[in-house]
Amino acid sequence: MDDIKLLGRLDRVTAPPDFDRRVLARVAERRATAAQTRRATVFRFSLAGATAALLVGFVVLNVFVLRPSVSDDRAGAGLAAGLFDQAREVPVMETVNYGREIRSASREPGAVYILEQVSNTSNIPIKY
Amino acid sequence: MDEQALIVRLQAGDESAFAEVVRIYKDRIVNFIYQLTGDYQKAVDLSQETFVRVYFKADKYKPIAPFSSWVYAIASNLAKTELKRRRRMALISIDEMPPTVEISTPSREASDSGLVRNLREALEALNPRYRIPVVLKDMEGYSQEEIARIIDRPVGTVKARISRGRNMLRRQLEKAVHGNAPLREQEIYDGRY
Repeated sequence: MDDIKLLGRLDRVTAPPDFDRRVLARVAERRATAAQTRRATVFRFSLAGATAALLVGFVVLNVFVLRPSVSDDRAGAGLAAGLFDQAREVPVMETVNYGREIRSASREPGAVYILEQVSNTSNIPIKY
Repeated sequence: MDEQALIVRLQAGDESAFAEVVRIYKDRIVNFIYQLTGDYQKAVDLSQETFVRVYFKADKYKPIAPFSSWVYAIASNLAKTELKRRRRMALISIDEMPPTVEISTPSREASDSGLVRNLREALEALNPRYRIPVVLKDMEGYSQEEIARIIDRPVGTVKARISRGRNMLRRQLEKAVHGNAPLREQEIYDGRY
């Protein structure tokens, strides 16, 4: 069987009558979509660029323009020292008599007390 | 009109040149894709896409090969992608395949004799690797060198694929004629052949 010649027997088809019009419509549609995509891309990049420029401007402003000077630092330190001088002393005393507490509690059977040192500075005034 | 001048105008974005290119090639491209896919609606759709690509990528065409080879190469790639997509769909689920995927062609019922139907089925059963060169050679009449340019493969590969494709086609047809039903006899009996 000569299949090569047989292939010629397969029916040939042609394009439908409105083929050209549909192709041109598709081209126009694709062109519009491409323009839209291009505009969206430009907008995206310009938005990103503007955000980046704003960020850089903010950093530059803070680092080089609004930077606190050395004299400002000294003024701040002096203020802190003045406040420290004005602080008043408040005596804090331990109010619990542990000796009495243990004596009164020792009658309870089976009680174990753990005494814990809470401060080394009894009778020493604490500054606030 | 000189084709080279037409292409220069097309590359300059001349829409009338593009319309002329569509007019020249539309029937050949629709038929070529139809022979590969077996689906007329899909062939028309892919042909339109081929021309859209021709329009937008015209500047990429270099006149080292005939313009028709370039157009056929675009059509061939689109058809190959479609065939791969179909194969993937068939692999996912045969049950989910839409019945329209099969074949839709104007007056198919009227024009298809049993032999032609068998021939088409044999062609559709052929792997696209062999089907494209066979169709280009035996139906579109391209030389092996031109086919090599279209499918971007060496001439030796093209020769081998055409030869193997024809053999597979022959075996498929023989199986159909001798195995399932002796179509020639049946057709003669029915008065259709």
